[in-house]
Amino acid sequence: MLVDFELIKKAQQGDSAAFNEIVLAYRKRIMGTITRLIARPEDVEDVAQEVFLRLYFSLDQLREEKVFEPWLYRLTVNAAFDYLRKLRRRQEFRMSDLSEQQVMMADATAGGKADQDEQHQKKVRESVDSLLGAVSEADRILLMLKEVEGLSLKELEKIYKVNENALKVRLFRARQRVLKAFGAGGKS
Amino acid sequence: MQPMRGSNEEQLDALFRAFAGACPDRDPSANFMPNLWQRIEARQTYAFSFRRMANALVTAAVAFSIALGVYMAIPHTKTVAGTQSYIEALAEANALDAPDIVGPVHLDPSETGR
Repeated sequence: MLVDFELIKKAQQGDSAAFNEIVLAYRKRIMGTITRLIARPEDVEDVAQEVFLRLYFSLDQLREEKVFEPWLYRLTVNAAFDYLRKLRRRQEFRMSDLSEQQVMMADATAGGKADQDEQHQKKVRESVDSLLGAVSEADRILLMLKEVEGLSLKELEKIYKVNENALKVRLFRARQRVLKAFGAGGKS
Repeated sequence: MQPMRGSNEEQLDALFRAFAGACPDRDPSANFMPNLWQRIEARQTYAFSFRRMANALVTAAVAFSIALGVYMAIPHTKTVAGTQSYIEALAEANALDAPDIVGPVHLDPSETGR
């Protein structure tokens, strides 16, 4: 735990400085997690602010110290889920207006401006983002938390409040779907 | 078939690892905290005005209910129509000497042969 419970109690009583300290302690970690969950660096800060906004308005419901971090993760997961759902709706609308060639041209132009490393990272992010299109937003987040964030099943159990076996089944199915898309898509 | 699947699994794991590397923890911008507080205040203002509106509505509803209760509780002076029973009102509306009921009967002579 990056902050002590006294600080959380102060923030619960409306102490803005205490809340600021909590945000400063966790924002880098939360932003990192969001980066990996949504794979769009340009929107990470916006989603992270949404997480802390939700934290601010629900902090008074927190009773136990030990549930703070899983709870913050749950807020992060929910904010990322809402973002991805909105994004999918927006993309369905936008991409329908562009031909495949136009999309490739736009990618090439964007790539030309970035340096080689950034270009490679962008390609990796896009490949994974595209693969994860094979599963629902909820499964995508679950898979990312397990495979990329490296959370254990016990930690996921605390975040999702679902038993370990149910999580295992869900993770297995999601991974199988991604694997199938990976095999079909020529492994970028 | 099985070794190919295994190879796919390994490549997918490698891709996930590369993805983690391509999404490093990044530092927030200088505007992170000011923007966050701006959003918090905007939400608070919205919540406050919503609560005020809800309170006004509840007050208006309570006042209306009290007014209605008082109105219903006060005994009203009865009108003439109010004192009439149903039978009396019916009799008045269809009086026996009304022309459409007790008017003279006209016999048609052409029909007498039948």
